[in-house]
Amino acid sequence: MTTSPTDTDSTSAPSGGITVLLVEDDAPTRGRLRDALAGEPGFTIREAGTMAEARAALDQTAPDVLLTDLQLPDGHGVDLIRETRARFPRAEVMVISILGDEESVIAAISVGATGYLLKDAFPTDIAATVRDLVAGHSPISASIARFIVRRAQREPDAAARPQLNTARLTPREIDILWGIAKGFSYADIAAHLGLSRQTVPGHIKSIYRKLEVNTRGEAVFEAVQQGLIKL
Amino acid sequence: MSAGAQPAGAGATPLSARWSRRRFALLHLSLQAVIVCLCLFVISVPLPAPDSRYAVREATVAGPDGPTPARLPATFPGSTPRRINLALSFTAPDKLTEEWSVLAPRFTNAAQVLVNGVAVLDTRRKASNNRPDRNAADMAVIPTQLLRPGVNELSVRLYVWGPLSGFLDTLYVGPDSVLRDAWDWRILLFSTLPVVFSSWQVILALVLGIMWFKRRQETAYGVLAAAMALGALHTFLIPPEQPSWLAGIRAAAIGSAPLESGLVLLFCMLFLGRRLTPLFAALTLGPGLVIALAGLTGGPEMVRQAFIWPGLPAIALCLGGVAWLTHGAALSRRDLVSVLLASAATVLVTCLIRDVLTIAGALPHQRIFVTRMAYAAVMTVIGACLTWRFASALNEVDSFAGRLVTQVREAEDKLRASFAREEQRKHAAALASERARLTRDLHDGLGGQLVSIVALAERSGAHGAQIGEAARSALRDLRLVIDAMDDIDGDLMLALGAWRERTAARLRPHDIRLDWRPLSPAGLPVHQELRPWHVIQLLRLLDEAVTNTVKHANARCITVSFGSFSDGAARGRIIIADDGHGFSGRKTPQGRGLDNMRRRAGRCGVNLSLDSGPDGVRITLDLPARFPEMEIPT
Repeated sequence: MTTSPTDTDSTSAPSGGITVLLVEDDAPTRGRLRDALAGEPGFTIREAGTMAEARAALDQTAPDVLLTDLQLPDGHGVDLIRETRARFPRAEVMVISILGDEESVIAAISVGATGYLLKDAFPTDIAATVRDLVAGHSPISASIARFIVRRAQREPDAAARPQLNTARLTPREIDILWGIAKGFSYADIAAHLGLSRQTVPGHIKSIYRKLEVNTRGEAVFEAVQQGLIKL
Repeated sequence: MSAGAQPAGAGATPLSARWSRRRFALLHLSLQAVIVCLCLFVISVPLPAPDSRYAVREATVAGPDGPTPARLPATFPGSTPRRINLALSFTAPDKLTEEWSVLAPRFTNAAQVLVNGVAVLDTRRKASNNRPDRNAADMAVIPTQLLRPGVNELSVRLYVWGPLSGFLDTLYVGPDSVLRDAWDWRILLFSTLPVVFSSWQVILALVLGIMWFKRRQETAYGVLAAAMALGALHTFLIPPEQPSWLAGIRAAAIGSAPLESGLVLLFCMLFLGRRLTPLFAALTLGPGLVIALAGLTGGPEMVRQAFIWPGLPAIALCLGGVAWLTHGAALSRRDLVSVLLASAATVLVTCLIRDVLTIAGALPHQRIFVTRMAYAAVMTVIGACLTWRFASALNEVDSFAGRLVTQVREAEDKLRASFAREEQRKHAAALASERARLTRDLHDGLGGQLVSIVALAERSGAHGAQIGEAARSALRDLRLVIDAMDDIDGDLMLALGAWRERTAARLRPHDIRLDWRPLSPAGLPVHQELRPWHVIQLLRLLDEAVTNTVKHANARCITVSFGSFSDGAARGRIIIADDGHGFSGRKTPQGRGLDNMRRRAGRCGVNLSLDSGPDGVRITLDLPARFPEMEIPT
């Protein structure tokens, strides 16, 4: 998990409740995540084990949050994320990762995910993370921050994967990423950079948005680059 | 270094940078005026003459209308060839103490001197004396028997064969020792010095000719070499007196001045980078060639005629062209080389005008020609300058080669450095790709199964909690291993950042807070030598410390502080402290855990110290100044 309790302001869920579409092919894991969210008030959970089921669920209702695994039996989660972002621009997307490794998380970020969830996270953390995301606080891990900063500061290397468009990041955003990579809390970072502590999560969300590849053509190109799509 | 392409090349000092065009023109003209004045001054310096007591000036010239008086020096215009008979006299002392001589300092074209009716001196015997442009002097000893005490008869037969009018300078008759000094001076100036100049010209003609031969594109050098060779021929070839098979060639060589001046004009054009058409070259060299042809076919007399017309106008035109070209170049280029050439042209033109005035009789009682000598001197100087310039160009080539060698060496160094960087980058890329592969494998296989175990364990109630914890711990370890493999450029803070996340999540169910406290703004020093195995040992060590606290300390908060301290070199320090009850009242039951931590610290050269009190346990890790390359056996 990224954010410690001291780092986030736990805000209450929106009045209408949070509709979560949970896409995970491993039944025990899916059950565990569902239980973790269902155990908290204010969550409505829809489940899917495959891409097809997920698409069917998307046809029925617009989710507030898409929580998806990347390896699905009938497709790749990246495609699902892209579709969801295209159809429901207001939906937040969170990728479920086993190791929180940059390869899977960055691929998801580049198509519009704004957070990630470790599969073995504790139930309370799972609900808190989803709630924070809806409140506009995107979690980011030290290793992901490190990865982004490294890409932003090195000369572009065509062979490096996954590709990441870091050109639009501001120096301040890079400073924030450095702070996160070195394990500092939002409060520490805010104090060090002379920011208000509350603005740091907003900066992180903005970083995620800047890393998203916006146009469909770009997305296809990126996906081909990443070897996610074979032509 | 091509003279045409780079006329103001090596050795040229750009004066243009220092002076404006107008100011430069003024300076240049003043310089030329000074040069003209200097030339006139040098020419006007009187030649050494013997004591005027011994001068013989009053003469009687025999003519068809009877004898007429004349005072030497005198010019005798009229038709040529002819012979002019002069009668003079001098007084000898009653008693001779030494030998007496007669000195004829200057005559045109030849003179026979008789004392009391006996010929004592005939300048025609020395062929070089007959050259009208040589300023020749001649001297002879008067046999003692011929001399009478008192007045002696002196008669001169002056032979004039044109094209110049006859001329006879003041004669001197007196003691040989008194006259010889002046004669020696004239020999030095008008006989030896031209030979010296011509020898230089021969050498320079050779040097420039070889340069041209080896570098055919340097046409200017070849043309100048030809001009110099002609000049040398002109000096050394004896003028013909009697018709012979050599006479034609000699005559041609002696009439070479128009050809030489044409070559000099061509040289200037080539040197200054002007376009040279074959027609212009033919027109320039034409008169000279005509004279040479006249010499070869028609003999000396024809050369003499051709020299006056068209030879002299051609010389004047060529020198005028040279002056125009060089002064134009000097004013437009404003460089040292052009100014030098222009000054040389000024000297030549000044001398030429003076000689023409002399020939025209505008300067009476004068028959010393200076253009040929000035030309020889100037050519020698120009040749020397060119050789100098050539050597400078060679020097420049040398230094260019030197610079090139340096640059190549620098490029090599850069290449080597970039190769090393590339190697390093490749190594990092290989590590990254290996890490990515391992991550993918673990993600798809072991990781997924461990997550399933966690999920299943949580569903099987209290009994499964331990299994779940074990599976979580295995997942944590997986992440640690993957994290440690990441290239963190020696910044341990980056590894600690990810560790902090994992540990905070792990501590949250136990209600233990993790405080993160930098002790110095810079944090931990960067260790370029840091390797994944160091990172794994350190993070596991920290993990074990946290495990101990969770299991035994009953703590509410763990504080990790880190910073640098100075111990000669900047060294890092990490302190992990809890607010539990320490080891109070117990021996260290987790002895094995502590031993393990010490062992891990020891392998990396980290100094571990442990304080335990009622306020909790505090472990201080002092990082080494430099992490060991190999594990230190413990």
